Amino acid sequence: MSFNVLIVDDSNSMRAVVKKIISISGFKMDQCIEAGNGNEALKALAENWVDVIVSDINMPEMNGFELLQRLREDEFLRNIPVIIISTESSEQHVRDAFDLGVKGFIKKPFLPEEVRKILYEVIGVSDEGEYEEDRGDDEAFDF
Amino acid sequence: MKENMKKIEEMMRLSISEVFEKMFFLFLEPPDDDEAGTYDMESSIRFDGSMRGEVRVLLSRDMAKAMVQNMLGLEEDKIIPQRVEDCAKEAVNMVCGYFLGRFDSTRVFTLSAPVFREQVGDLDLAEDACRLDFDSDGRKAGVIVAVD
Repeated sequence: MSFNVLIVDDSNSMRAVVKKIISISGFKMDQCIEAGNGNEALKALAENWVDVIVSDINMPEMNGFELLQRLREDEFLRNIPVIIISTESSEQHVRDAFDLGVKGFIKKPFLPEEVRKILYEVIGVSDEGEYEEDRGDDEAFDF
Repeated sequence: MKENMKKIEEMMRLSISEVFEKMFFLFLEPPDDDEAGTYDMESSIRFDGSMRGEVRVLLSRDMAKAMVQNMLGLEEDKIIPQRVEDCAKEAVNMVCGYFLGRFDSTRVFTLSAPVFREQVGDLDLAEDACRLDFDSDGRKAGVIVAVD
């Protein structure tokens, strides 16, 4: 099973790093769409279906929190899992992000393993790329 | 404030070291010669919260190149100025964010957009500021934290 991923970050370098980590982590990526801020992300989502969104918080034009709010208000987009990768590390911002429905929060700087682990937990894919039917099986996330 | 600057200095030392290790695979050590301060570019960011100020990351050209190469897995001939700028901005963003999280994770800080300069500005330190210099295989990196 392959996945469509939307990476939202105003840094080209960070988007490239996240894309690389996803591709070397054993995920079968069909499409990797990139956006530089929340506005671009919403435009991309109007034209493409994605299985997971990986987003930064501090971005120009529309930041990650505004994007999360807009996703939450949209009945077609609200169920897309979102993982935040950000330098934001205050307890309040992490709480706010989870209150807005994010499935994972990774603080920069991060190790590739941290991204990989949360992606496996969120997308529910085994090391072989098969969809995990039993989300309760903790061993499925070990690697 | 002096006591606070000591704390700031120690936390910044840990923060920049961890960012460079994790994201750029570069190990920062104290400089062992008199060449500290020979930098070619800098990126800076302002922060505002329970304290307010600025963080500047200073880089030698070969340090910036190594950061781009290591972070993006690029060959040297594929490094373009835009990549260097982007990497330097991301570095100061991460260093400042990580430092503030260590300093006080119970408070929310607002960060400005990072700014990149192809030359290094004034290195004279104000009273409430500290500067740290590092070396990684001859490549130079430094950081200045100034509190308003």
